[in-house]
Amino acid sequence: MNTLVPNPSGKPSDTAVALRQRMSNNLAAIGQEQDEAAFADFYSYYAGRVKSFLMGKGMNEEISEELTQEIMLTVWRRAESYDPKKAAASTWLFTIARNRRIDYLRGNSRIEVELDDEMLDVETTDTDPQAQFVENAQVAKRLKRALEKLPQEQRQVMHLSYFRGQSHGAIAKWLDLPIGTVKSRIRLAMQSVRLSLEGEDQDLLNDYTEKS
Amino acid sequence: MTVSHHLTDITIQDYAAGTLSMPMETLVACHLTVCSQCRRRAEVADSIGGNLFDQAEPATVTVSAADLLARAAMAPDHAAPQTASVASPAQPGVPRPLSRLLPTGLEELDWRRIAPGIKRFNLSDQHRKYGAFQLLHLDPGVTLSAHSHNDRELTYLVQGSYSDEVGKFQVGDIADLDGHHHHQPVIDSEEPCIALIATHSPVRYSGFVGKIMQPFVGI
Repeated sequence: MNTLVPNPSGKPSDTAVALRQRMSNNLAAIGQEQDEAAFADFYSYYAGRVKSFLMGKGMNEEISEELTQEIMLTVWRRAESYDPKKAAASTWLFTIARNRRIDYLRGNSRIEVELDDEMLDVETTDTDPQAQFVENAQVAKRLKRALEKLPQEQRQVMHLSYFRGQSHGAIAKWLDLPIGTVKSRIRLAMQSVRLSLEGEDQDLLNDYTEKS
Repeated sequence: MTVSHHLTDITIQDYAAGTLSMPMETLVACHLTVCSQCRRRAEVADSIGGNLFDQAEPATVTVSAADLLARAAMAPDHAAPQTASVASPAQPGVPRPLSRLLPTGLEELDWRRIAPGIKRFNLSDQHRKYGAFQLLHLDPGVTLSAHSHNDRELTYLVQGSYSDEVGKFQVGDIADLDGHHHHQPVIDSEEPCIALIATHSPVRYSGFVGKIMQPFVGI
C-alpha cells in the first residue's frame, strides 16, 4: 500500500465498517451461544455511550446508570432477535435505548408498526432492492460519509435532536434560532443522507473509475 | 392501497429521535403500516441515530459487564415478555396502532354529534389546550371551516376521502401540516369520511362562523 497517497475519507469509513461487522458478530455470538466475551466487547464499547445518550437527554446520572444496565441486559437476553439484514448493531441498540427511555418517562411504550398487521404494505419490501439498502457494508460506509459531509450547522441540529433536544422547538430556543431555520436544516440533512444512499450506482461507478 | 400523501422528513426524524407525543406516534405508525416507502425512510432515520451512537462520547459506567451478567443470573428475567400480540377485534381497514385504542368497531363507537354532519370520538381526555387526539366522522358533502394551526397537525384517512388546498386525501394518506398551512377540507366521498387527527395546539379559525365553531369542533 502506498502510504503517500492521501485517502482522507477511506480510512475512517473502513474502521466504521469493521466496527459494524465486529458488533454484529458479537450480537450473533450472544444470541446463539450466550458468549460472555462477545457481550463484554459489546458492553465495553456501548454501555458508556448508552449512558451518555440518556444523560444528554436530561436524565440524572443515577437513573441513566440504572437504565443503561437494563438496556444492556436487554441486549444480552434479546440478541437472538437481532437481524443483521435489517439494521446495524448500533441502530438496533439505539432503538432499544430510545424506546426504553420513552417507556420510562411516560409509562407506555412507543407506538410502532406491528409487522403481522393485516394492513401492512409489504408490496415493495421484498422485491425492491433499495428496500434492503440499510443492510450492507457499502451502505454503512455511504451513510457515514453522507453524515460527515453535512455542513456543521446541519450536523449540529441532528445531534441535538437525537442526543440532546426534547423537540425542534426546544432546539430552536437553545440555539436562539427561529424554529423554521431548525426545521429546514433537519430537512436538508435528511434529504442529503437519503440522496447519498439512493445514489448508490453512480457512486459505485465513481469508485470504480477512481481505482482504474 | 395507493398512498399519495406522505409524512414529511421533519416528522419522520422527530419520530426516530423519540420526541413525538403518543397521539402523534399513533398517526405516524398508522401511515407507516400502509406505506412501505415511508417505512424505509423511517429506517434510514433510525440508522442515522445508530450512526451518531457510534460517534458519541461515552460516559463512565460503574458496573462491569461480568458483574452485570453475574447479577442477572441471580435475578429472574422480568423484562417485558415477548408478548404474543393481543388479539384485537377484527377491524377491516384499521391499522393495528389505531384499532388497539378502539373499544368497538368504527360504526359502533360512541360518536358525539358536534355539528350538522360532524361526529367526534375522543381518544384522549386531556384538555383541549394541549391539542386534540380524536376521530372525526364526516358526512359526504360536509365542508369544514377554514383553519390553520400553530403547530403540527397530523390527519390519517381511515375511510372515505376529502379534498382541500393541498390535494385529494384518500384511505392511507396522511396530511402532515404545520403552522403555515391554511386549509378548508371538503368531504368528497360517497360514504362518510373517517379521519384520525392529532394536533399539538388548538386550531385558529379564520371566519366568524369558524370562531363560533372552534370550541365544539376542536380540530
